[in-house]
Amino acid sequence: MIRDRAASVDALGASPVHDAALIVDDLTGPVAAPVLRKISFTVLSGATHVILGGMHSGKSLLLRLLLGLQRSQHGTVEIDGMSFDVSAPNEDTLRRVRRRVGVVFDSSALISRLTLLENVELPLVEHTSLSVDAAREAADALLREVGVRADVDRTPDTVSRLDRRRTALARALALDPMLLLVDEPGHGLDADAAADLDDALVALQHRRMCALVICSQEVRYAFRAPGSLSVLAGGTLVEHGTLDALRASEHADVRRLVDRRGAA
Amino acid sequence: MRQANVSPDASASIDAPDETSAPIVELGGRFISRGQLALRSAYWLTALVAPHPPERATPVSAGVMRELDGLGFGAIRLVGASSLLVGLITVFQVAYQLAPYGAEIVSVRAVAWFVAREIGPIVVAILIVARSAAAIAGEFASMSANGEIDALRAMGLDPVKYLVVPKLAALLIALPALTALAIALAIIGGWIGTSVVLGFNTGLYLEHLHESLAIRDVGVGLAKSLGFALLIGLIAADEGLRVERRVSAIGSAATRAVVYCLLGVLGADTLVNAVVYFIPGLT
Repeated sequence: MIRDRAASVDALGASPVHDAALIVDDLTGPVAAPVLRKISFTVLSGATHVILGGMHSGKSLLLRLLLGLQRSQHGTVEIDGMSFDVSAPNEDTLRRVRRRVGVVFDSSALISRLTLLENVELPLVEHTSLSVDAAREAADALLREVGVRADVDRTPDTVSRLDRRRTALARALALDPMLLLVDEPGHGLDADAAADLDDALVALQHRRMCALVICSQEVRYAFRAPGSLSVLAGGTLVEHGTLDALRASEHADVRRLVDRRGAA
Repeated sequence: MRQANVSPDASASIDAPDETSAPIVELGGRFISRGQLALRSAYWLTALVAPHPPERATPVSAGVMRELDGLGFGAIRLVGASSLLVGLITVFQVAYQLAPYGAEIVSVRAVAWFVAREIGPIVVAILIVARSAAAIAGEFASMSANGEIDALRAMGLDPVKYLVVPKLAALLIALPALTALAIALAIIGGWIGTSVVLGFNTGLYLEHLHESLAIRDVGVGLAKSLGFALLIGLIAADEGLRVERRVSAIGSAATRAVVYCLLGVLGADTLVNAVVYFIPGLT
C-alpha cells in the first residue's frame, strides 16, 4: 500500500496537497552563499523518498535548511500541513514543526554527556506529559525496538558506531514523528552493519507508517527502498520520479550514479 | 512540559554565526550576543527555580548537579591550597613593608580586609577561569562540531536551556561557596604566617582580626563572586557556541574564552573598585 502511494508522486511534485508529509517549494539557500537553488519536491504521507547525490552535493545542507537550522534565501516548506517561509520562519511554527519531524544526522549527533538511554529520554521528558519513570520505560522500549545491543547506560563514545546510529534513530522516533529524515544511513558503517541498519529502517517505517526521506550517495537505496527519488547535482534537483525514470535518464550525473551500481 | 514552549525570541546568537568583519563590529557583536545569551539564560534560570512538581524534574536540574560536581567540588583542592598560600604571601608582603615601623602585627588587618574584599573573590575567579573556562568553551565548540547543538534544536529544544543554564547555575552556586572557603583559608594562612613565622601569639591575631574584619567585607566579596560567576559562565559559553561547525574551531574557542573571561573579571573588578573609591560612603 505504501508502495502504491509512493509511486503516485508526480514527477514535478504536484501531488494532492492534503496527503503530503513534506512539500518543499522553490527553496534557495543558505542566505550568504546559496549552494542550493530552486529545490522543489513533495513527499506523501507514509511514503519513502530517496534523495541521491554525490559527496558535497548539499544533501546535509538541504536537511538543515528544511528544518530552519540555517536560514535560506527564499522558499517555503510545508510539513504536516504547517507551512513556513524558510527565509524568515516564525520561531513558534518552527518549534511545532520540529516536534513532528525525527532527524538522524550523519554524525548521529547524540549528546555526548548523556547515556544512550538519557539521549532517547530527553525529547520524551521535555515534550510529553510522561513522568520520568514512564519516559525511561518508553525510551528503553524504543532502544530495544531499533535493536541497540550495547548497555544503554553507557555514553555514546563508548559504544559502536552502529549502536550510536541506532540510538539516534530511536531518539528520532521518540515523539512518533510523521516524517523521518535520515542523512546518509550507512555513513561510516561497513557493508554488513549498513545492511542491518537498512533492515531496521525499512521495518520501522512499515510499522510506524511515517514518511521517510533518505539522503544518500549510495544508489542502492534507490533500489532497496521502494518509493520516489530525486537526484541532487550541481546545487539543484536534476531528476525526479521513480526508479524507472532514473534508469531512463539522460542526465550525465544521474547516469554516473546508476552506472556505479552496475559496476559494483 | 510546562514552560518550555515559550522562549525569548533572541535566537540569533546561536542560529547564525555571523561572518566576522571590522574589529569594532566584531567586538560589538560579542557584546550583543552575550547580552542575548544572558537574557535567554535568565529566562531559563527563572523557569528552573520556579516551583515544579518533583516527578517532572527536568534533565536540567540533573545537569546542574553534574556540573556542580565538576565545576564546584572538583575545584575545592585547588582553591583551598591556593588561598592558604595566598594568605601566607599577603602576610609576609605586608609585614615586610611594615617592619621598619615596628608595626608587623597590623598586617593582620590588611590581610583580613584585603582578602575578604579583593583577593578572595578575584583569586577564586581566576582559578576557575584557568580550570573551567576553556573546558566549557571547548565542550560547547566540540558539541557544535559534532552536530549535537543542531540535534537539540532539531528536537525543538533550546541549547541554552540544556547546556548553558546548568553550567551557569552551578557556577552561581559554586563561586560564592568557593570564595567563602578561600576567605576562611586565607585567614588561616595569615594566622600561620603571623603566629608560626612572625612569632605573634594567637590571641593578638584574633583580636586584630575581630577588630578589622566586618561581615560587610565578606558580603562584598561574595557579591563580587556572584558577578564573576555570571561573567565566566556567559563569556565561556558564548565563545563555545558562536563558533562554526569545524573541529579546528575548538582550540581557538577555548583560548578566546580564557582571554575574554580574564579580561572580563579583571575589568569588572576594576570598575567596582573605581566606583566604590569615587563615591564616598559606599565602603
